[in-house]
Amino acid sequence: MTAPRADLILRTADGGLSLRFDRRTLAVTVLLALAFVASAGVSLCLGSQATSPAAVFEALFFPARSDIALIVHEIRLPRVLLAILVGACLGVAGLLLQGLVRNPLASPDVIGITGGASLAAVSFLVLGGAALGEAWLPLAALGGALSVALAIVALSGRGLTPARLVLIGIGISAALGAATTLVLVLAADTTAMQAYVWLTGSLYAAQWREVAALAPWALMGLPLALGLARHLDALALGDDLATGLGNPVRGTRLALLLLAVALAGSAVAFAGGLSFIGLLAPHIARRLVARGHAGLVPVTALIGALILLHADLLGRLAFLPRDLPAGIFVAGIGAPFFVYLLHRWRT
Amino acid sequence: MLTSPLARLLGLGLGALLTLAAGLASLLLGATEIPLATLVEAFLAPDPGSTPQLILLSERLPRAVIAALVGASLAVAGALMQTLTRNALAAPSILGINAGAMCFVVVASTLFALRSPLVLVGVAFLGALVAALLVALLGRERGGGLSPVRVVLAGVAVTALFVSLAQGLLIIDQERFESLLLWLAGSVAGRGLETVVPLLPFFLLAAALCALLVRQLNLLALDDEVVKGLGQRTGRVRLLAGAAVIVLAGGSVALAGMIGFVGLIVPHMVRALFGRDHRWVLSGCALLGAGLLLAADTLARFLMPPQEVPVGVMTALLGTPFFLYLARRRSLSP
Amino acid sequence: MGFSRYRRLLRPGALVLLGCGLALVSTVGAASAGEGHRVVHALGETHLEGRPERIVTLYQGATDTALALGLEPVGVVESWLERPMYRYLRDELPAEVRFLGLETQPDLEAVAGLAPDLIVGARYRHAGVYPLLSRIAPTLIADSAHDFAAMLELMGQATGRESRARALLDAWHARVADFRCRAAAALGDAWPQSASVVSFRGDHARLYYDGFARSILDQLGLRRPEGQDGPGWGIKLVSRESLPAMDADTIFVFMRDDPAVAELHRDWTAHPLWRNLAAVEQGRVYYVDPVIWNMGAGIQAANRLLDELYAHYGLQNSGLQDYGLEDSSVPEGEGATC
Repeated sequence: MTAPRADLILRTADGGLSLRFDRRTLAVTVLLALAFVASAGVSLCLGSQATSPAAVFEALFFPARSDIALIVHEIRLPRVLLAILVGACLGVAGLLLQGLVRNPLASPDVIGITGGASLAAVSFLVLGGAALGEAWLPLAALGGALSVALAIVALSGRGLTPARLVLIGIGISAALGAATTLVLVLAADTTAMQAYVWLTGSLYAAQWREVAALAPWALMGLPLALGLARHLDALALGDDLATGLGNPVRGTRLALLLLAVALAGSAVAFAGGLSFIGLLAPHIARRLVARGHAGLVPVTALIGALILLHADLLGRLAFLPRDLPAGIFVAGIGAPFFVYLLHRWRT
Repeated sequence: MLTSPLARLLGLGLGALLTLAAGLASLLLGATEIPLATLVEAFLAPDPGSTPQLILLSERLPRAVIAALVGASLAVAGALMQTLTRNALAAPSILGINAGAMCFVVVASTLFALRSPLVLVGVAFLGALVAALLVALLGRERGGGLSPVRVVLAGVAVTALFVSLAQGLLIIDQERFESLLLWLAGSVAGRGLETVVPLLPFFLLAAALCALLVRQLNLLALDDEVVKGLGQRTGRVRLLAGAAVIVLAGGSVALAGMIGFVGLIVPHMVRALFGRDHRWVLSGCALLGAGLLLAADTLARFLMPPQEVPVGVMTALLGTPFFLYLARRRSLSP
Repeated sequence: MGFSRYRRLLRPGALVLLGCGLALVSTVGAASAGEGHRVVHALGETHLEGRPERIVTLYQGATDTALALGLEPVGVVESWLERPMYRYLRDELPAEVRFLGLETQPDLEAVAGLAPDLIVGARYRHAGVYPLLSRIAPTLIADSAHDFAAMLELMGQATGRESRARALLDAWHARVADFRCRAAAALGDAWPQSASVVSFRGDHARLYYDGFARSILDQLGLRRPEGQDGPGWGIKLVSRESLPAMDADTIFVFMRDDPAVAELHRDWTAHPLWRNLAAVEQGRVYYVDPVIWNMGAGIQAANRLLDELYAHYGLQNSGLQDYGLEDSSVPEGEGATC
């Protein structure tokens, strides 16, 4: 084993506050951030209407002069921003859950959160809620996710151990999936298809009001995740050791669970059942950055955002004039990559 | 939990009785009332002109047979999966079987316009096989054996891939979506016995395989090192058990669509009652799985008549409370 | 005496003032003439300038209605069957029309790129997208997808073709009255009849409690049988045991041309429970066009549906070409009392 390279250390003048950055993590994060900005730019420039980068630039910063201002500002920009926020939230939620239950298979849908959001959203659509105003749909989905999380915590009782959490989550998830299927089967064809598209995960017709509604959750939750990341490192050592290190295990678990639910629930509420990102992004991140969770959080967020940006781009462009849900392509992009990683992974 | 062999035998006997009762209920109850006498007559003195007998033989009987077969197969496959991966969360669906079947059926009926039920059953079975083989291939470790963790991860990736392809095709074609929705939801109705017969040899082969492997399966629950030390060849046992899982689960999905709850939950319930010895676990799973699905199918007719609830939904409704109760009480390793 | 200096400016000044005044008046006058009008629809009010020419229709019924009013849409969504557009509408579409993708997710950038004057959608599909659509162009949202009369009036009002819409609706009502009268005369005591609307699919059958076809049948006096008054769109029947649920004096069946559907249909209609149905015994099972009965959802589909009914009941039909535009009074000497 080679000696660890010198980490980058930043200190305040009196040495009272210091931050340590692992060079590799830093390099990876910066590279991903560059890729992210480039992807966002490309995403804004591409669409079913051909637009040149210069025209898009003009539309972004000088909308009054531009013909395509409407397309860029009202159609593409909210969609790109929503993809970024949703991807980041889901990726980090998956990371938190995997650390929480110490099982690499954990993701928001395994725990039943997505199942709750899905059931609430599908029921809402089928019971005619779309007529009430689709602004209520995200609220319904979020309510579903929160209810499931509370149910799981309540059912776990005193022993909020990882294994129990996951098992109950799976049981609830299976039940919710069955209920969702029932609603789909009984629905009229048009609503069933609409609900199925939602279940697949779609960013279609993203508007500013949705970005504005999701942004607070993301902007509060992601830094919070970064702050709680070190607790995940402690938890990974096992309950006893973590307690020995002074970590309030049960409280931490609860906090992490609620944060994961908030991030995943709000993301799913706006974009549908895209939770595969929550499984995929952390795994990819771990292959790139081997160190602790504090470094993993931003990397996972960036990877999640990148996956969804590209998936949505494919959905918009690959089958013109049809606009296919991004959820289809998340697996299409992500699964082969996952397989490749698996191939190279030494047990 | 029942500990003595006598208690377990009695338990199995009780289970068999309950399953039989569920089967009878499935045959006699429904939109048309059919008295027990008709059932007896249908076999002893068949009368082709009698409508109740016709309903019994053409509708109820195939349904009951399929329900029992699929229920038993799914439960046994689930028990095997949990033993193979030493993970309480394992179910046949994680091998990609459901996803493979779904994807192949969607592709066949959308892109190749194959619509006949018999052909689609074959296609679904093929899809299940392909997906499972892909997962097994990807889950191989460098040493050549199958690593449980890698298999599960590979299953997740393969499932996601196949499901997304199927979803893409279904979203484009609303008519195809409507036709397949009931199969996707899980349904034992509407299939005649002629669709079961070609798959029956496979089911029987898998059952025979399970019976032969019982002793080795018991040992598999132990650590690999210990097992090798005892002279067992884990690789071969895993392979054969895996083949049995694929056939049982793949055949079930091909016949009845996605009934995912049974394979995950029933083994837990059986283990809670009978312990870990696979002789009891597998037999118990077969009985309990068959009984559960028969009961679910019967109840599905009465929840909101004349609309029938998909059987996969009913199994979830019936099984979840019991499962949650178990999850709270017991320790969770298989 | 500066006054005389200003007096010299008076005449040109007055002319200038007059000119400005006239210009102002004419501008105000033009503004109030082109001010546009407001149309009330399911999701609020929309303000329209002048007569919209570039129309985008985002669901099947709207396409049907627009073409019936003689409009030339610039963008339409794809149909579900007989792609990209149903045969009965295909010839009426302008050649340069742009297809906007699936009805569930029409391509919004393409809609914006077409620079439309009017977008027409339906509540069940476009309630969420409505704010975005209104920013692209004035948007009308229909309350119900299959209420073709309401959509006809709405679109007529919006595009300044109210008289044409009115004529189409009057002709429709006349036809409905004509059908009821002739059916009563032909069937005597057997009228009014109950009717079921059934569809066979690949693995199940459907019984419709609601929808486009059902609403028209209700108007015509072909009411629902008891037992079919449940809420919702209808039910899916998976087993032949449930065949009795379909029973009525008449059964209208539509199904796609598909081998699996054909096989199911063969199995189900061979069963004794099917033969016991009242409609089957009386020979009143009619096979109808799925596009017209389940998909078109506009005034043209409604008229074609009525044509099929006239044919099935063997009644004198005043003919397709009459609806809306010509005098559709009954010719002399027909012998009918209607």
